[in-house]
Amino acid sequence: MLARTKVEQIITWWRFHLTIYRRLIGVQIRAQMEYRAAFLLEVFATMTTLFLFFLALALVLQRFGNLGGWRLGEVAFLWGTVEMSFGLMDLIFSGFDPGRFGQRVRRGTFDQLLLRPVNITVQVLGDEFVLRRLGHVFQGVAIFALAVYLADIQWTLGKILYLPWVVIGLICFFGGLFIMGATITFWTVESIEVVNILTYGGSEMMQYPMHIYPDWLRRIVTYIVPAIFLNYYPALYFLDRPDPFHLPAFAPFLSPVIGVGTLLLALAFWRFGIRHYQSTGT
Amino acid sequence: MRLFWELTLLAVRRQLTYRAATLAGLMTNLFFGLLRAVVLMALYGAREEVAGMTVQDAITYTGLTQAAIAYLSIFGWYDLMDSVYTGQVGADLLKPLGYFRFWLALDLGRALVALVTRGLSILLLYALVVDLTVPQGMVQWMGLAAALFLSWLVSFGWRFLVNLASFWTPNARGIGRFAFGSAWVLSGFFMPLRFFPQWFIDLSHLTPFPSMVNTVIEVYLGLLQGPALLQALAVQLAWAAALALLCSLVLRAGLGRLVIQGG
Repeated sequence: MLARTKVEQIITWWRFHLTIYRRLIGVQIRAQMEYRAAFLLEVFATMTTLFLFFLALALVLQRFGNLGGWRLGEVAFLWGTVEMSFGLMDLIFSGFDPGRFGQRVRRGTFDQLLLRPVNITVQVLGDEFVLRRLGHVFQGVAIFALAVYLADIQWTLGKILYLPWVVIGLICFFGGLFIMGATITFWTVESIEVVNILTYGGSEMMQYPMHIYPDWLRRIVTYIVPAIFLNYYPALYFLDRPDPFHLPAFAPFLSPVIGVGTLLLALAFWRFGIRHYQSTGT
Repeated sequence: MRLFWELTLLAVRRQLTYRAATLAGLMTNLFFGLLRAVVLMALYGAREEVAGMTVQDAITYTGLTQAAIAYLSIFGWYDLMDSVYTGQVGADLLKPLGYFRFWLALDLGRALVALVTRGLSILLLYALVVDLTVPQGMVQWMGLAAALFLSWLVSFGWRFLVNLASFWTPNARGIGRFAFGSAWVLSGFFMPLRFFPQWFIDLSHLTPFPSMVNTVIEVYLGLLQGPALLQALAVQLAWAAALALLCSLVLRAGLGRLVIQGG
């Protein structure tokens, strides 16, 4: 009986907070859809601007032939998975964007959220929902589709089933980095641009095959911030490429484990940060 | 003219107060620059030279573009838009200097500080880590100074023009993101323009963007010499003038439409 009430409590908790989250982002979606033409234009503009970067790389690659032995389709595979995951992550975790969250802490508007009797993490999650980021996601999907067309991937049941887990792993990983970056601003107050090295720098690094980086940098992204397992190793598996670093055969399948692990670690750090938070008094 | 220099000096002082941000920005620029250098090195592979650029030139290129980010506000500049949203524009329009020159003075101060604190220091830090190409001879240095100044003028004209969109629409930031994003690629900031197919280079030269970044880089690397150097500088000057003219026309049209918000 006792166990049953416990389960019921958990279900009620989740149901309540999901409703809160839905309402929080529902309001923002309605507001952003108010000017439908402007919204569609923004989505389109984001998508074309970002796609232009990829087009530029494709044109340059045409001249050079390959990038560290990888051809356009294979680089596009990395680029597409990172971009669509980062775009989706940005949609979900925008409230934790270190730059914007730092501003909240600085201005003291974070304190208002703390006063409400609703879970703080859910509130920050629902705090910013920038629908135009869909442009970023669409662009990633377009590049991924191009990769599938160009790279001649030998699809197997295993690969089809694993693909969504790679995207989930990447979303959790980047989301975790956003949360850690946001938490740091509790102490630094100033939103620190250095955090961008981790988030935007990390995503940019992951757009290219990791074997082109110098050894010391590659060791960092293997053993310290294990980004190499999130899309480079999965890419080796999808593209049937040999592993140049001879890690165990399960290395390509670590993506969801490390992604979810990073997110959980970040949430623990976030809770620690909240407990030690002192307002700036503004 | 005195007011112009006083505003410039004000902007210099204002910019110099952001010391922590400057340092953080410097580290970020350096990191991304070296990351881009690694990618270019991987593209070169065993090649020594591509399109007249050696590997060393290509690495120097990544340093130069990173050094230009703050100087030319390559990631975008929305100060004028923000002043429209806050209503500050009302007071600024009354200044006895002309609206274009008012912002020109402020941006000159900002750019000068950025050129030294962010631009020069990036190149010095770069020089510690990698072999940099350095301009040779008096002519090239003078060409570089002229190209640098003109690139700022062109960049300012473009940024001012884009920001004027806020006189018409409260959604000007979206327009700005698109405008500055296109400049990323077409200016030669993303990759050296010489690496692109000829049709793409021709296309980019129909826009003012190469005059912002690409010309400075090619002058610095010594890829433009003699008449080609003079021609590039003339093109920069022409774009600077054309954009300034366009700005004044659009500004005149916009003043009638301006809706001052808040205040």
